[in-house]
Formats: sequence, C-alpha cells, structure tokens
Amino acid sequence: MMGDKLLFENVSKIYGEGDNKVTALDNISLNVRAGEFVAIVGPSGSGKSTFLSIAGALLSPSKGRLLLNDEDITSLSPKKLTRVRLEKIGFVFQSSNLVPYLTVRDQLLLISELIGKRDKKTMKKADELLSHLGLGHRADHLPEALSGGERQRVAIARSLMNDPEIILADEPTASLDSKRGRDVVEMLAHEVKSRNKAAIMVTHDERMLDLCDRVVNITDGKVFG
Amino acid sequence: MFLAIRELKHSKLRYLLIGLIMVLVALLVFIISGLANGLSSDNASSIQNMKADYFVMEHDSKNKLNRSIISMEKLDEIRASSDVKAAEGLGQMMITLNKVGSSEKTDVTIFATNASGILAPKVIEGTNYDNKKQGEVVADSSLKEVGYKLGDSLKDDLSGKVFTIVGFTEKQSYSHSPVVYMNVKGWQEINPALKNQGNDSISTIAVQMDSKAEENVRESLPEDLTLISKDESLQSIPGFKEEQGTLTMMIAFLFVIAAFVLAVFFYVITLQKTNQFGVLKALGANTSFLAKSIVGQVMLLAVACIAISVALTYGVTLIMPEGMPFELSTNLVIKYSLLLLVVSVLGSLLSLYRVAKIDAIEAIGRVS
Ligand SMILES: Nc1ncnc2c1ncn2[C@@H]1O[C@H](COP(=O)(O)OP(=O)(O)OP(=O)(O)O)[C@@H](O)[C@H]1O
Ligand SMILES: [Mg+2]
Repeated sequence: MMGDKLLFENVSKIYGEGDNKVTALDNISLNVRAGEFVAIVGPSGSGKSTFLSIAGALLSPSKGRLLLNDEDITSLSPKKLTRVRLEKIGFVFQSSNLVPYLTVRDQLLLISELIGKRDKKTMKKADELLSHLGLGHRADHLPEALSGGERQRVAIARSLMNDPEIILADEPTASLDSKRGRDVVEMLAHEVKSRNKAAIMVTHDERMLDLCDRVVNITDGKVFG
Repeated sequence: MFLAIRELKHSKLRYLLIGLIMVLVALLVFIISGLANGLSSDNASSIQNMKADYFVMEHDSKNKLNRSIISMEKLDEIRASSDVKAAEGLGQMMITLNKVGSSEKTDVTIFATNASGILAPKVIEGTNYDNKKQGEVVADSSLKEVGYKLGDSLKDDLSGKVFTIVGFTEKQSYSHSPVVYMNVKGWQEINPALKNQGNDSISTIAVQMDSKAEENVRESLPEDLTLISKDESLQSIPGFKEEQGTLTMMIAFLFVIAAFVLAVFFYVITLQKTNQFGVLKALGANTSFLAKSIVGQVMLLAVACIAISVALTYGVTLIMPEGMPFELSTNLVIKYSLLLLVVSVLGSLLSLYRVAKIDAIEAIGRVS
C-alpha cells in the first residue's frame, strides 16, 4: 500500500541451526505510515531488538520481505544496506552512543561527512536542528559535559540530520529518569509529527506509551495489537 | 580525517606519549645509521673514494688485498681488453711506522701505485711522491692530527727503510687506519711476502669499466685470477662486514620495534573503541571510512614524529665532538623516513583487521 514508510511482509528471523535454532521473529507483518510514531513493547527475549535490527537494515530477515519507502531492501548487499542506513534511516540508540571526542555540532556533521557532503549548508542545518531541540548553546560542548537528557536530544538531532524516511529508537530513555525520559520522547514525537517522518521506538517504559500513535506488543516473536 | 584529527586533538596526552616513543625510536634509527655511515667511511674511505669499479684479485686470496699477489705483466693484458676503460695496479700492506727521533708508533696501510695513474691520491698539501725517487710518501691528513707534518721521517722497523712525508691527502683510510701512498717499487722492497721473489708484483688491479662488461672480463681472466666488485672488496676489509652488520641489525630491530609498538598501541585503542565503531557502522560508516581514519591518525602521528626526530638528529650532530665518525646523507634520511612511515602503517593493519570484524548490529540492544 502506498504511503507506508516501512512495511514488514511475513518476516521471520531464525537464529542458529539444527538443535540450537531460535525463532526470534515469527511471521511478522506490520506497516508504519508517514507521521506515525509506533511503540514496540514486549517482555525480555521476545524479539524487540531483532525486530529493530531488521527494520534498521542491520540484519537480514530469514523469510519475508522488507520495504522501506516502497523499495524492497530485503536482499540488498551489506554494502548497499550501509548506504540505506546512512541515507534513509535515523537511529537513536540507548545511552552513550555519541562519539566522545566530537563536539555536539560535529556529532551532526559526522553524518554529512559520511554522506560525503559537508559544507556550509549542512553546517547551517546542524545549527538549526540543535537550536530547534534547545541545544544551541551546547553546540561546541563535548558529550561528557552534557546531561543524559541532553545527550539523547543530540542523538535525536543527529538522527534527523540525513532527513531519514524513518527514525528507529532503541530504548532511548533507558538511562534517564522518568521526567527527563518523557521530555526526550515528547521531543521525538513532536519532531516525527512536524516533519511527517515515521518512527519506531522500542521501550520498556509503559509511561511513555500515551505519546505514541500505536503500541505493538511482541511476545515470543509474534505481534499482537 | 574528520575523526582522526578531532580524536588526536581530544586525546592529546595519549598520543603525545606514543609520539614520544616514536620520536625516540626514529632518533635512534637516524643516529645509528649516521654512525654506521661514519664508521664505514672512517673504516674504508680509501676504497669508497677510489676511482675504480672492480678489482682483479688473486684467486686464492679470499678477496683479501694483503694475501693477493699479481704479476705486473697482467696489468697490460687487462688494459688491452676493449671492455676496460682504465686499469691501474695497487700494492697494499698494513705496517707499523716509527716516527724518527721519537718513540711514536703509528699503524698505517700502505697503498702503492703509479703516482700519475688513476689511483694516485689528491694532494691537498705539499707535493706528490715521485715514481722514480725512493723514500717519498703522501699520507692521509689524519696523521697531522696525531702530530705529523711535512718533512717528517717514518721508519719501517722490519725492513729498516725510512720514508719522508712530502705531501698530505684526505679521506683516505683503510680498516680504520690512515693510508700512506708510495710508489710500487718502495712497497715491493718492504713487503716481506715479495722479498725473495724478485718479481715485479702488485696486490690488485683496479679496473674502471661498465658493469655490463663484468662477465666478459671475468671470463677472459686466467684461472688464478678473479674479479670482484668495489662493494665485495669493501666487505672483505678486516672488520668492515662485522661492524656494519651489527649496526644494520640494530637498525632493522628498531624498525621492527617501531612497527610493534604502534601495532600494539593502536590495537588496544581500537579494542577500547569497539562499541563506538559499532555505533558508527550502524549510522552508516563503512569499514573503509573507519580504516582511513585510523591510517590517517597513524600517518599524521608518524610524519610529525619523524619530522621532529630528523630535526633533533641534526641538532645532535651540531653538538657532537669533532672526531666523531658520523655521516648522514639527506638521501638516507629521506629513505629511512619513508621506511619508518611504511612500517608505521603496517603496524596499523592489525587494527584495521579488527575494525573490519566489528558488526554494526552490536549497536542495538546494548546498554553501554
Ligand atoms: N545472535 C543471536 N544468536 C542466537 N540467538 C539470538 C541472537 N540474538 C538474539 N537471540 C535470541 O532471539 C530472541 C530474541 O532476542 P532479542 O534480543 O530480539 O530480544 P529482546 O526483546 O530485545 O529482549 P530484551 O528486552 O531483553 O532486550 C531471544 O531468545 C534471544 O536469545
Ligand atoms: Mg533488546
């Protein structure tokens, strides 16, 4: 269906072989539309990280198809997948995923550097994103000088730097207290809405779920809801 | 380079420390090679500066000048060959000379050759010796430093002959002893090996010729003679091979040490940064971007360290004592600098291998 930013079609992921076989994802179908903010919840070992890895072009599914912005990325080579991640996906990981020796502005410019065009325009874009997320005064600071919440806001700014089709967040509030955690998720939700992006967030924190448009429950590799 | 430079700036102390080690190792490389060079010319400048490409030796001499005896007639035969541009006979022996009127003794190497031939010494003071007149010698200027001057007489105790210094030449040493030039006749008279032969002989025939003609000339030689290159003749100077070999081995070890120190340092740092590299790969950095960053760092560090140690090396040469055998050509400095750079980059290969193994997927589901 047109308008889907991300589409899982009967996706399964099986780890290992023979007796050690683990079915981490079992025939999952799911779509995320532009402007939609989806939360993934589920008990430990249910397959959330596996799901996010496949959505993030970090892992190939064992079965099924995966479409990103209507483009089939299921059987792309690892090299092409790296390019897809760089140009079409924004990541917000758990704590400390910033490069320790880069200033806040350079964290964003790194993405432009990786894409291969770091110039005045991207510099301006980085500064805009930072002031938009309330980090303008922090642009020249190193991550070590930031609070946990500020760091995750930098990560959100970074994830927007490449104008992604979809933003994937892996427990972005895991290392924050609930007040700060909620601020970060609110900010993420706001950016997703205002820029009409799609986003998926894996979380353990039930209190964030009201900020999401849809909650998907994964249990034993199967989707409910 | 985006990451390389920023990280170098951020972790200054860490890179300063490894840089310091690199500077010291490079400094040692330059100083030892300067010493090796200096010792080599202190040892054998007479042969190195000789206008000859090859030497004809007696076959049984094991390439040792003092064991080789060749009949003077052979010189004309060799000169007749169309491959040979020029040739000249040389007599050699090592003796101890007494300064007449003093108890001073000096070990010298006698070179006996035609005073107007291609091997004749370049006289920088006084006059050249005479081919006919007996008892005239031209000595290396290092004898001046131990108190000899023009007109001094030297006596060979064994033969009882007395020689007078009529001139000085420079940069003429053989097996770390100064060379004293005289005519062939004088040498034949004091050489005990020739005493009872009465033959007109020399030790070797120095030949100027193209290396392409080497085989031709060697083939044409009679069975009891052999042809060796200038380099081979250097190697057969007493002590030369051992001295140079030791120093060369030290230099080789220093290169290995440089490679290992850098390899271990960058490998440990890379291990520490495994998570960080995982995140970068997840964000879309490919291995070659990260590899360039590491190699870039190694190159920056190596270039800076090598530049500093070259500067230090020249600084050290300024404060070296006068008589120190130290010679460092720009060519050699450039050659060893490049070699150090190559070795440094080789040392980073282990880290590149490690980076290539890191999987982007490790960025997801990680707490720290
Ligand atoms: N590389 C792997 N090899 C084998 N089995 C794996 C691998 N990664 C995950 N699994 C298994 O797949 C299942 C799903 O794992 P996954 O990490 O996706 O769970 P999760 O929902 O993220 O759990 P948590 O909430 O604890 O992070 C688990 O049973 C796990 O043991
Ligand atoms: Mg997980």
